[in-house]
Amino acid sequence: MRDRDGLRAPGCGLRDGRRRGAALAAALAGALLAGLPCLVCLVCLACLVCTGCAAREMAGEAAAPVAGAAAPAPPPPPPPAGAPSPEPAGGTSGMLAMNDADAAKAVAATKAVADAPHSAAMLIYTATLSMSVYQVGPQLDAVEKVARDLGGYLSARQDASITIRVPRDRFDETLARIEKLGEVTHRDIKAQDVTDEFVDLQARLKNAYAVRDKLTELLSRAAVKDAIEIEKELGRVTEDIERMEGKLKLLRDQIAFSTVTVNFAPVEAQQVHESSLLAPFPWLDKLGLHSLLEVHQ
Amino acid sequence: MNASFVKASLARAMPKAYRLLGAAALVAVAAFATGCGRPFDVKTAPGLVELEHQSPDYDYRAISPEGVVMGVRVVDVDKQGDLEFWTRVTTLRMRELDGYALLGTEDVKSREGTPGHELRFGHDEHGKPYLYMLRIYVKSGRLYLVETGGPQREVEHYKSQLDWMQASLKLD
Repeated sequence: MRDRDGLRAPGCGLRDGRRRGAALAAALAGALLAGLPCLVCLVCLACLVCTGCAAREMAGEAAAPVAGAAAPAPPPPPPPAGAPSPEPAGGTSGMLAMNDADAAKAVAATKAVADAPHSAAMLIYTATLSMSVYQVGPQLDAVEKVARDLGGYLSARQDASITIRVPRDRFDETLARIEKLGEVTHRDIKAQDVTDEFVDLQARLKNAYAVRDKLTELLSRAAVKDAIEIEKELGRVTEDIERMEGKLKLLRDQIAFSTVTVNFAPVEAQQVHESSLLAPFPWLDKLGLHSLLEVHQ
Repeated sequence: MNASFVKASLARAMPKAYRLLGAAALVAVAAFATGCGRPFDVKTAPGLVELEHQSPDYDYRAISPEGVVMGVRVVDVDKQGDLEFWTRVTTLRMRELDGYALLGTEDVKSREGTPGHELRFGHDEHGKPYLYMLRIYVKSGRLYLVETGGPQREVEHYKSQLDWMQASLKLD
């Protein structure tokens, strides 16, 4: 009866595969002994080979999670040399100007965050500056250069605005250097504490790994009827794990690299306001290019 | 009056006239040497010429053939306001009223060592980029305003001459 069960339920684990192989071998031996035609024997032999391969594949699939269960929750694997990783928050557009050296720095910075003690606050720094400048193009280039000089990279660039990512320990220096490029008309700097979210996510991920391992173990011993339900649950848990891993990776990146967005406004487009402050000093009205360059004939 | 009396009077008066003429000549020479009564001394670099009798607003002004101009104004502020005050006032005036873009600031010194500030502005004139630099010094109750400006490309071309003129400025 057991052998027959094994034949009826393919793909239910290592043990079942071996059972199927043994059943086919027995059938082949029986056929030869019974003097069946050679064609039938060959068909049986082919089935035996296929079943053996399937059993080996299943054994491999079943072994992987078990091996993973013995180790602690794995960190995201380091990318191969030259790969543009880690993926910035802005998606692929964030990799516009990231070369191999930048990628290596980014990996190192993200790893430093991952290795940081949990007692340290996990802060995501973002800054948005509005600046009034004379010529926008050169200033965009200057901001991009600041990012490169300080180990960061360009995330996005439009006609009059630019977003860069810089290592968090160079955040203040970045702002100081950018503010020298023109007049800052508006400044918005935020530090978002994500310590709770980070720790909670790590704990939930650890639990999810444990659940997945348990389900995998159960699946290997389950009957056909239960196996379908366990597989469904395993799929759901695996999906949760992938989502949490992605979120954790994003948080690590956001913590490791601060985001600075600079919006430039060309001065000639600004509204000129009348000022009453300077009335007591009439000579001030005579300053400027018009007076300086005025030459009488 | 007889002739001898006239001769004697002339003989007494002539040395006094000579002395007056001599004193007037000395005053003229001194005024010329100090820049015709200006409370500063500045040299005009080769490639520029000084504009005289052009505008009462300027105590000194020099121009290049391409229209790069350097001018010096002296304003009596009666010892009111320090360098920081006048720098801030000027910056606000240029930025808010005329829409000049502040490109940068720098600490500077005159030839005799008076500290000052330089403000560098950008401004469009008829759609073309112009540069305007303003150096501010405060000394002896006077505000010294040294303006330099012109088309951006020409100002950059004349940079060495303008720097030389700025370095030659000595305040009284």
